[in-house]
Amino acid sequence: MFAVITILALLTVGLGLAFRRFRIQHPSAEGNILYAAIIRDFSRWLGLRIPAVLSKPTPAGWPAWVKGFRLWRLPLFEKWLLIGFYGSFLYLAASGFFFAIFIRRGLYGFPLVLHVMAGALFAVCLTLIAFLRARRFTFNSGPLALPGDLDAVRKFRIPWGARDWAKGFFWLFLLAGFSLAASALLPMLPWFPYRGQIILFGWHRWSALVSLLAAIAFADLELFRPKD
Amino acid sequence: MRAVGRIARPALGLLVLGLVAAVSAHAGDQKLKPWDGNRTTPSHFIPLRDENNELIVPTDTDAMPFSARFTCGPCHDYKTVQGGWHFDAMKAEKNGRPGEPWIWLDPKTGTVLPLSYRKWPGAWDPRVLRLNPWDFTLLFGRHMAGGGPAEPGDEDVFPGMDSRWNVSGKAEINCLACHNKSGRQDHSEWAKQMLRENLRWAATAAAGIGEVGGMASRLKETWDVYDGPNLDDHEWAVAPSVKYRTVDFDGKHRYFFDIAYPPDDRNCLACHSVSPVKETRATAAADVHTAKGIKCAECHRNDLQHGIVRGYEGEAMDTGNRSADSFTCRGCHLGEDPTGKRIVVPGRLGAPYPKHTGIPLVHFRTLACTVCHSGPVPGKSWARVRTSRANRLGVYGVARWSTDLPAIIEPVYMKDGRGKIGPQRLVWPAYWARTEGKEIVPLQPGVIEAAAGDILKCEDRIAGVLAALSQACGENEVPVLAAGGWLFEVNVDGGLDASPMVAAEKSGGKNEAYPFWGTEKDGVISPLIPDFDPAAEDKDPAAEPKVQSVLEALAGVAGIPGKPVVAMKKTLYQVTDRNLASAPVPAELGGASGPGWLKDGQFEPLAAEFDIRTVAATAGTEKTLTEEQVGLVLKVLDQGEAQRKEPEKGGPSHFTYISGGRAFRLDKGGRLVSEAADSAAPVTWPLAHNVRPVQQSLGWNGCTDCHTADSKFFFKTAKATGPLLTGSIASRSSTSLMGVGGLFHRVFGLTFAVRPFFKVILALTILATGAVLLVFFVVVAGKLAGLIEKRS
Repeated sequence: MFAVITILALLTVGLGLAFRRFRIQHPSAEGNILYAAIIRDFSRWLGLRIPAVLSKPTPAGWPAWVKGFRLWRLPLFEKWLLIGFYGSFLYLAASGFFFAIFIRRGLYGFPLVLHVMAGALFAVCLTLIAFLRARRFTFNSGPLALPGDLDAVRKFRIPWGARDWAKGFFWLFLLAGFSLAASALLPMLPWFPYRGQIILFGWHRWSALVSLLAAIAFADLELFRPKD
Repeated sequence: MRAVGRIARPALGLLVLGLVAAVSAHAGDQKLKPWDGNRTTPSHFIPLRDENNELIVPTDTDAMPFSARFTCGPCHDYKTVQGGWHFDAMKAEKNGRPGEPWIWLDPKTGTVLPLSYRKWPGAWDPRVLRLNPWDFTLLFGRHMAGGGPAEPGDEDVFPGMDSRWNVSGKAEINCLACHNKSGRQDHSEWAKQMLRENLRWAATAAAGIGEVGGMASRLKETWDVYDGPNLDDHEWAVAPSVKYRTVDFDGKHRYFFDIAYPPDDRNCLACHSVSPVKETRATAAADVHTAKGIKCAECHRNDLQHGIVRGYEGEAMDTGNRSADSFTCRGCHLGEDPTGKRIVVPGRLGAPYPKHTGIPLVHFRTLACTVCHSGPVPGKSWARVRTSRANRLGVYGVARWSTDLPAIIEPVYMKDGRGKIGPQRLVWPAYWARTEGKEIVPLQPGVIEAAAGDILKCEDRIAGVLAALSQACGENEVPVLAAGGWLFEVNVDGGLDASPMVAAEKSGGKNEAYPFWGTEKDGVISPLIPDFDPAAEDKDPAAEPKVQSVLEALAGVAGIPGKPVVAMKKTLYQVTDRNLASAPVPAELGGASGPGWLKDGQFEPLAAEFDIRTVAATAGTEKTLTEEQVGLVLKVLDQGEAQRKEPEKGGPSHFTYISGGRAFRLDKGGRLVSEAADSAAPVTWPLAHNVRPVQQSLGWNGCTDCHTADSKFFFKTAKATGPLLTGSIASRSSTSLMGVGGLFHRVFGLTFAVRPFFKVILALTILATGAVLLVFFVVVAGKLAGLIEKRS
């Protein structure tokens, strides 16, 4: 169940983000009102795009590609904070979802020990990032207050752009990270019986999925955002 | 008319079928009479009937023993009971989870052979060894409840030359072994009667219904129970007979059976006791269920079919008894079946609902309940235990029945059939076997003993000499042999007791000539024959009479190898026509000294060097064989095989000896070599009791009960045990037995040293992140509610 939902959710988010890029790169497609035509154009675009993305950079060009990250040019503390953060999150996601989806027994052995250690590093880095970077992801300081009467509420729209989506995903990621840390700590405390342990285990898994999806969306919208 | 016939015939057939079905159903009803709902046990005033279904009059001379088949059978269908767990091993198709096998122990041949009619891993089917029901009954009848192999069908009664069913009768199911409430029920009496081959009398004697005398084992094979007393012999070969306790019968010759339903624990424990070797009765712990007043049979239930609930998860699937799932640990305490589905309301018999707070889920997926709750708390080494059936416990009397071997250890954690780790008992098998290709078939100890001849009788020979020499000893003097740092003396069972030699001061300075024969009195060892010079004129006048008494005593040694002689200085003494004769030591016997045997004109010491070397090597250990003995026996077996068949020149040995987890055989050069073999693997079976109180469960003190870098749970090594004295033994680590990674659990155990710090860090990050999130949500909520306005 979890494996199926995870795969479907990843596909959905991936396709959604790809479709967004398609719309940005092909503004003319916005005029198309036929779903079949949109899907056809999008599929054609995707068919060309995926091989292009996969082949660029080539394996030989990976070091140069990685060296090109802005990360390496950051101040020492910030650089290592982000290395720890990205590294731990990538390992957590890779080990957790690989074992959850492909290994019947779930996460065990040395990958589990590393998962626990990476979890601690992730929690610390996430906390520091929350304190150091959260202010960058606050929403505009304009009033958001809902109109006083209900008719106006119906027509009320929060001004919401791509940047706001990224901010939203940041906060969602932070929330999921908090949830992950809590659901990792609580089973270790002598408070929860067998049923509670089952709930906490499920809670940890679903939090991880939300966290991953939020991270992907945030990365697409913020870190690797298409040049406008 | 034809049309009528066409209709009538099928109709008639249906009618007959219906009648048969109705009769069968009625018969079935009779077998399993429905319970009327009353919870009392009826008083059992029952007329006793013998095996011919004749009424027993207790005052009759030569009355027959009672038969459960005909005494209990009229109300409790005997055939139905025969299908019960304790009785159907030979015919059972479903054997369920492995249980404790019968262990055939024969120290002389170094045999520790697990046997079972049930198809359990590691246990040999007695039929493979050509062990017939008669042999099996004599070997293990002491702890059988009758029935099964002890009550073979008529077609199995004469399968072997040695079977004496016609003399002994059959040991029917002994209902009273379990259901007798009377304190008269005496398991020791049952064991003795079985050993005496008084099979049909055993139940009567064990229940205290009557006193049974005589021994069927001493009667000729032509004797029949209807022959009555043996008129030719009133002392030795006395025919078994019963003298009933008439006081327990009423005027109608009905006997009062004091019945326990369900059976009392003492009756279960007669055959199912398990105790640590080093524990004393006073300090031995009890199962927590027993301490709470729960009887064995309240969980291990059964109906008339006697399909005892064994109480393991998956039993319902194995046996088809659906209620079995609710009698597991999980069934009573959680109300769940093995899949976790709620099947009954938990709390049967007051079972507390376990909270298991703070225990990660992986423990419930991979461990049986018994890992944390049953058996001894894991220590630095495994606990050596004795079980009733393996170590012959619970048979009391003048002779000591219980044995230290086989060496059973617990709790060895291993994966069971469901892939869950659970505590098990373990024994290393040891046996001689014939190998044919990849097939290996154990050999009966009797076969080996016969083939080995004198090779395995070292102890017997020395004990025989010491026993004979006791005739030449004075009051409070005990003949001894000092050799290899050990002092040997004969024990009451005709074997040898060895005690460490405290050398010079104890032996009066006579230890330089080891091995030497002497006598021990008040802790002081003296030479058997005092040193004297036969040629001296002032020699001790008691010396030569002592020599004569020693020689006369030695003449009584069984299987005497030669004429007993004593060589003293240059004089050779021997007894001729009851007179002590002395003569100069012949030149060809130069070097002869002390007592010995004159054989074929050669002087041989009282005990061969091989015998002394062997007993000295194994003294003070549980070992009974040396590598030298095993090599010699394998050689003899191979030679016998070569004579029987076309010899395979330089081919591999046809025989193997298994001990200490390795298989020993002779290589092409005739040297003893050992190798790992599946057939030498340890035999294990799960344990469930004793269940410890919750405060003594693993995990009660936290994760570090098991997860440390030097965990007693994970890091131990089981060195194989066996009767063979050898350095070539197998060993298994705990983690390999469990099937888990040793390195991983070392590292994982180490992480628990920093686990508290880890928790604190995690808690701080949660608090900090939570605070940021809280502020964020407060701000967003404030903005939405218009409570927080834009700053100007």
